Amino acid sequence: MAKRVMIADDSEFMRNLLREILEDDFEIVGEAENGVEAVNLYEEEDPDIAMMDIVMPIRSGIEATNEITNNDPDAKVIMCTSVGQEEKMKQAIKAGASGYITKPFQKPNVLNEINDVIPA
Amino acid sequence: MKVDIRELGQFNHLASEGAKQAAKSLSTLAGIEMDVDVTDVSLVTESVLAETFADRSFVGVELGLQGGLEGETVLALERERALVLQELLLDATDTDYSSKGSTLAKSSVTELGNIMIGGFIDGWANHLDTAINMTPPRYTEANGPRILPDQAIEAAKNHGVFLFESKLSGMDVDLDFSLYMLPEYRQFVQLLSGNDQGNQIPVNRLSTFEELAKEGAGNAAGQIGMMTGLDTNVDVSRLRFVPLSGVPKQVGNDQFVGVVFELTGLPSGYLVVLFDENSAITIANAMMPGDSTEDEIGSMTEGAIKELGNIMTSGFIDGWANVLQTSIEHSPPNFVHDMGESIMSPVVGKLGQQQDYAFVIDSTIEIDGNEGKCDIYALPNERELARALSALPAQD
Repeated sequence: MAKRVMIADDSEFMRNLLREILEDDFEIVGEAENGVEAVNLYEEEDPDIAMMDIVMPIRSGIEATNEITNNDPDAKVIMCTSVGQEEKMKQAIKAGASGYITKPFQKPNVLNEINDVIPA
Repeated sequence: MKVDIRELGQFNHLASEGAKQAAKSLSTLAGIEMDVDVTDVSLVTESVLAETFADRSFVGVELGLQGGLEGETVLALERERALVLQELLLDATDTDYSSKGSTLAKSSVTELGNIMIGGFIDGWANHLDTAINMTPPRYTEANGPRILPDQAIEAAKNHGVFLFESKLSGMDVDLDFSLYMLPEYRQFVQLLSGNDQGNQIPVNRLSTFEELAKEGAGNAAGQIGMMTGLDTNVDVSRLRFVPLSGVPKQVGNDQFVGVVFELTGLPSGYLVVLFDENSAITIANAMMPGDSTEDEIGSMTEGAIKELGNIMTSGFIDGWANVLQTSIEHSPPNFVHDMGESIMSPVVGKLGQQQDYAFVIDSTIEIDGNEGKCDIYALPNERELARALSALPAQD
């Protein structure tokens, strides 16, 4: 059975791109446009993995990740972001992120990172 | 408040590296290879912003910076370039454009701006050993300087704003745009303060020197007008801080006719006056007595350009010497007729023995409407300029 993935990114373009990259191998359970929607979507769908942008309106991806991993310590969240700052990476790990991909990415990077976090 | 020119060089380097990272992001995302032309920084006033962005219509992506570095960043493209970029992005990602309409096209440019600016900022955060928070990207459309954030325009009115500009141009496609970063003035001046007095310039003197350069360009324009009877107007005049190695590339590969002067005194340096070939011939013919004219660059044009260059240079640097209360002499004119890069490379080579960066005064004079153009590049020795500006009596 295909693993279930949710996508949280405020950019419609990036959500489309990620969906195209993932939909052949994974079941996309939903998309969120900000950190609040991401937390709600995670609670509703309980996906195997969440692809999470950092810079989002209303609530950032790091804040959303923190809440998700507090509620579900086994949650698997991959930060999927244009921010490659070392400090931000530390903050993401502290918030409970399991992986980190820097945009722009290509399909093999995304699949490898997911495979590292939730081996097939 | 003082700024250390070596710190300014360090931040210029970071911006330049950031722009290369941003170009790499575009290449990965859409397969578009971009060349980073040059990165410069200037302390600009409202009037310089108006001149720099005048008569252009832009699409932009704007992000605010908070935390370790506060300010604003903008990826700005002229409107027609934005359409080219949207098509390239949607093609590269196999997105069905027709079914989604313009919302997705705007989203593609917005996300590109987000990714490129993210790459641009990462190096700054790592250098400052801090986190820089970015606000979500905002798609904007505006004419003229309004493409820049309101806070930046307001700061330009009050005390000037530091404007980093990295120009990127497509290697295989007709696409060019600029990345702008406008750090918050007071915090950035603190970051630039450094601790070597020999390299420090009171920050308000940069504006003084820019005003001086503008007056110098005005004098030079007036002298062209007087000697030729043609209408002249200073189009743009900016004091920019640039890596010396980038100066020849910025002048470009077009053929120019002009004169190079070496300056001695305080500050020493170089001054280069360049005309495109047609402008040089037009000007020379206008200066010649009676009916004598030349259709190509010959000895009469050379003589006329040398003479005009002499007078323009004196007008340009006399103002500096008076305000800086120093004496500046210039060498006899060295006539040049070559590609821009070839003219500037030896100048930069000589100055580069002492410094890696330079304050470049870059003034463009329109001649006879849009019929002709003259560019003046002044490259003073940076430490000597810092010394002369620091020695000025306090104004406030």
